[in-house]
Amino acid sequence: MRVLFFAQLKDATGCNAVDLAVASPLNTPQLWTELVQRFPALAAHRPNVRLARNWEYAAPDAIFAENDEVALLPPVSGG
Amino acid sequence: MEIEIQLTDQPIAEKILSPGQPGTVGAWLEFRGVVRGAENGRTIRAIEYEAYPEMAGREIRRLLQDISARHPCRAAKVIHRVGVIPVGDTAIYVGVASPHRGEAIALLAEFMDRLKQDVPIWKRRAIADGADSVGRVTPCAPVEVRLPSSGGQGTARPTLKSLDEAISEIISHSRSLPAVRTPLAEALGRVLRETVCAPEDLPPVDRSMRDGYAIRADDASKTFSVVDTIHAADWKPRQLKTGEAVRVATGSAPPCGGLRVVMQEHVERDGDKLHVVRRENSTNVRLRGEEVRQGRPLVSAGTKLNAGALAILATVGNVNPLVSPRLRILHFTTGDEIVPPDQTPKPGQIRDSNSILIRGLLQNFSCDLEQGHLPEDFELAKSEIANRKSQIENADVLLVSGGASVGEKDFTRALLEQLGFEIVFSQINLRPGRPLIFGVNGSRVAFGLPGNPLSHFICFHFAVVTALAGLTGGQPPEFLRGQLAEKLDDKPCPRETLWPARWEWRVGQTFLSASSGDLPVACADNANTGQECPANQQTGMSALRPLPWASSGDITCLAAANALIRVPANCAGLSNGAKVDFLPLAAMIGGGL
Repeated sequence: MRVLFFAQLKDATGCNAVDLAVASPLNTPQLWTELVQRFPALAAHRPNVRLARNWEYAAPDAIFAENDEVALLPPVSGG
Repeated sequence: MEIEIQLTDQPIAEKILSPGQPGTVGAWLEFRGVVRGAENGRTIRAIEYEAYPEMAGREIRRLLQDISARHPCRAAKVIHRVGVIPVGDTAIYVGVASPHRGEAIALLAEFMDRLKQDVPIWKRRAIADGADSVGRVTPCAPVEVRLPSSGGQGTARPTLKSLDEAISEIISHSRSLPAVRTPLAEALGRVLRETVCAPEDLPPVDRSMRDGYAIRADDASKTFSVVDTIHAADWKPRQLKTGEAVRVATGSAPPCGGLRVVMQEHVERDGDKLHVVRRENSTNVRLRGEEVRQGRPLVSAGTKLNAGALAILATVGNVNPLVSPRLRILHFTTGDEIVPPDQTPKPGQIRDSNSILIRGLLQNFSCDLEQGHLPEDFELAKSEIANRKSQIENADVLLVSGGASVGEKDFTRALLEQLGFEIVFSQINLRPGRPLIFGVNGSRVAFGLPGNPLSHFICFHFAVVTALAGLTGGQPPEFLRGQLAEKLDDKPCPRETLWPARWEWRVGQTFLSASSGDLPVACADNANTGQECPANQQTGMSALRPLPWASSGDITCLAAANALIRVPANCAGLSNGAKVDFLPLAAMIGGGL
């Protein structure tokens, strides 16, 4: 599973993306547990971050699988 | 609709051709958002933008398709530049072509608002003035960009619903539930749904106001014979002759019309003989229909029944009034960090104060309240919901208190959507209380209340109370006019604020001596109409003392707050004596408003 970071989350993690090897699909809390374990600085951003799965906003009950592209999106500010 | 979307790191062309087919287009609307020379008060020379290109393109397309279903247009072209964009350059270009201008303008306005909420594009950093190059970001001192942007380029339209808009939405979606007939003893707090009129004159017959002797009003005699005695419950009609008197009790019906009652203290009696010592000007008779005539309204439809109103209904024998039904309200707290108030929270946990807050605030409403807790894990939450399916379906009002933790907003929103609610709004332009969610499902309404106690408190009073008034057919809460009794210190906030306050009522001079001057104020007597009267009248006034609060989690002001002052957006404080709009908090005063 490829996980992408954007904007200030790049600063928090120090990278643009990370490849996670997952044995079985993860739900949202499980995914966060994995990510925060690897990047503790993400925990502070968690309340404001929306998750995307395969270029769509993910529902809270989404399941994230091995071949998915996951993105962590902080509050947007385009335009 | 033809849609063309580009994300580019190159400057956007000065001239772009109309995207629509010539001949089918009556309006071509172009918008350019350009980089301003200042960010958070600092002069800058450029802003670096970043995008998630695969998703940004899809989101822009989705937004355009969604909005064009309501505002049909022929074509739209969106170009967003990314990378380092110098001040004055275009960051976003939107061109919309439509048969008539209305659709294009509406589509553009909504698109820009929603772009700023949903499209994954970010202002990455601002590059301060004096940096040697705008092309290279790394060596330049970064300036913090406030996120999300409170107005990057172009549109000055607020992207969120204003307080007034939110209240209007709640009013229009909270339709009154069918009325029911209810015994008087259960009618307290219900809203009367038909005007109750006097079924007969009140009082229905003349009544003596005194213990004494009834004589003809025109009888100037000094001595009388007592010809009868009438007790309170007696009904003994007879015509009196000159020189005749009848002993009457307070509340009893005199034997005929045209009488006066001489108080027993003003006579000397000897057997059947009566000597009148003194006569008052008053006849001491309460005339039939003096209080209200048959057919006149006594209690109007829409009145929330208090103890006094119930006494009136009892007086006229209206023992099964037509009223609003008893509301069924279901309240869930969420968030795994919440523990019951009798437990000691571990680090990172907090005690649940919102359950008791909601229970207390609903005390003045005739309702059955059920409360529960939902786990933060959405799967577990769904199974809890499944267990309570019938309870949820039977609830007229569903309240979900957000936890202060993970993805609160999305969780509640997804939960409400799962339960079939259509989300009317999911954020408003208000401080505190911005993450307020409102949804409807048929005649049922739902609120996602921001979890912080002060936000909770404020959203309950202006939003939930408005919905309850709508469902019961009562009067929604109204802002009144008042005057600050102390200055209100604030920093300018781009959002409108509802500021907790203590509302005090003072008789004119008492209050004025404690304040600075003779400013005009709103009289309490005229508060309902918003009319103003001079301060020097003795009728009193609405004086408001702003209460200090530090954040939306601040609970210290909750006990004293009985009003919310409306502070306009971008207002740098208000001086002592300033006139303000305020919302009285009936639930904190005792429901008497």
